[in-house]
Amino acid sequence: MDIGFRFQKTINLYHENGITLQYADERVLSKRLFIGFSYVSSRLGTAMGSNAIKQDNFLISGTWMFRPQRSLQPFLRLNTGYFIADYEDPVFDVLPNSSILISPETGVSYRFTFPLKVSISLGYNVITGDGIDGPGTLYPLYVQTSITWNIFAKNDTNENDH
Amino acid sequence: MKTIIRFLFLVFIISGCSKDPDLTEDILGGGAIFDPSIYNPEEFLISHTIPNPTPEQAMTPVIIASHGYTATTFEWNEFRQYADEHGGVFVSQVLLGGHGGNYEDFRNSSWRDWQLTIILEYDRLVQAGYQNIHLLGSSTSGALFLELLSGAHFNGKPAPGQVLLIDPIVIPSNKSLSMIHIFGPMLGYLEVEQSEAEDKVYFRFRPEETLRELQNLINIVRKDLEKGFVLPQETSLKVYKSIKDPTADPVSAVLIKNGLKTFSGNSIEVEMINSDFHVYTRLELRPHTAADKQNQIETFNDILERVLNN
Repeated sequence: MDIGFRFQKTINLYHENGITLQYADERVLSKRLFIGFSYVSSRLGTAMGSNAIKQDNFLISGTWMFRPQRSLQPFLRLNTGYFIADYEDPVFDVLPNSSILISPETGVSYRFTFPLKVSISLGYNVITGDGIDGPGTLYPLYVQTSITWNIFAKNDTNENDH
Repeated sequence: MKTIIRFLFLVFIISGCSKDPDLTEDILGGGAIFDPSIYNPEEFLISHTIPNPTPEQAMTPVIIASHGYTATTFEWNEFRQYADEHGGVFVSQVLLGGHGGNYEDFRNSSWRDWQLTIILEYDRLVQAGYQNIHLLGSSTSGALFLELLSGAHFNGKPAPGQVLLIDPIVIPSNKSLSMIHIFGPMLGYLEVEQSEAEDKVYFRFRPEETLRELQNLINIVRKDLEKGFVLPQETSLKVYKSIKDPTADPVSAVLIKNGLKTFSGNSIEVEMINSDFHVYTRLELRPHTAADKQNQIETFNDILERVLNN
């Protein structure tokens, strides 16, 4: 199980950072399939000490790793989840501030010889705000970097030594 | 491999498309139609209409009314007419730089060019002795005003009394604009669906260069608002925002309210308007309801009241 930090930058909008957790079971598809949960928020990014809108993203994901035995692993991921923004003032209660999230992602992951993994990927929010429906600060294109630590490294190393 | 070849072929086809729109003389930008303020500035700009005001005229409120991206002075004609009928104010209709003429001039213009004509009219009015100047801007002009207010532009000179923003844009409704720097060069231009009558007063074709300028401008304004800034001491500001706006996302009003404070540290005023128009104050050439008309008139009255009581 990999646990760590996720740093996300939406193109032409906010930095949103948080945590990520990715789990793969050895008995299922030889560690090709990871199930994950992430939470990223502008509260831990652009909105820290600024007037940016405070918004939260809760994501669950399925990730398919290619070349699972190698250090450098391309991957495909599909996220779904929930987005909510806090507009603070009641005058804005008439505006939509939450949405379902659906975002495919693709990138590469590098696994070091010690239990650290770094991933970088490009994602696309299929659902965005359009001025009529959906929150206005839900933008389409983002890049994310994750730095995670495999907390079951000992078992993992034994099983995966090659 | 076949997929890659297909993809490359598609990219080749898209990038090989014509970068120039099919301009005709019956649309704005086609070379035959120009904004009337270009030929007759004295009918639109108070600094040209009354360059040497009497003391009484100099005290009369002047509202600089400035339009949005791709629009012309037409956008504020209805307000000008309403204000003239009700009396007590002068309305100076500014044409943004690069707008209202040839497509090529528009394509080559930057957001600083757009803003320059506002600055020039403001400075001419100040120099002529007008002492009661206000700014009224729709859409992109809202962003242009905010950029002026966030900097040092009004240091050492009289600041505007009222700054009134109709559907200002900080966040676009069409989120594809956020990717214009990536896909713009392949795109060349965007065509907007609008009526034949609107084709004569709004550019039908939007060059990708100007879309990039728009994105640059709203990024600057958004970041200024994130840092926060205060209005000059003598300035009040109000935002009027359609709650369903297909062009300037209503969340723009949230960013402005969060990022901007009056000189004394108070929040600025925001009124959310029950409308699905962008720039709901312009109804001419648009099918509209009685409720739309009521929104327009209420806002016109509010603007005049604020300016006359400033």
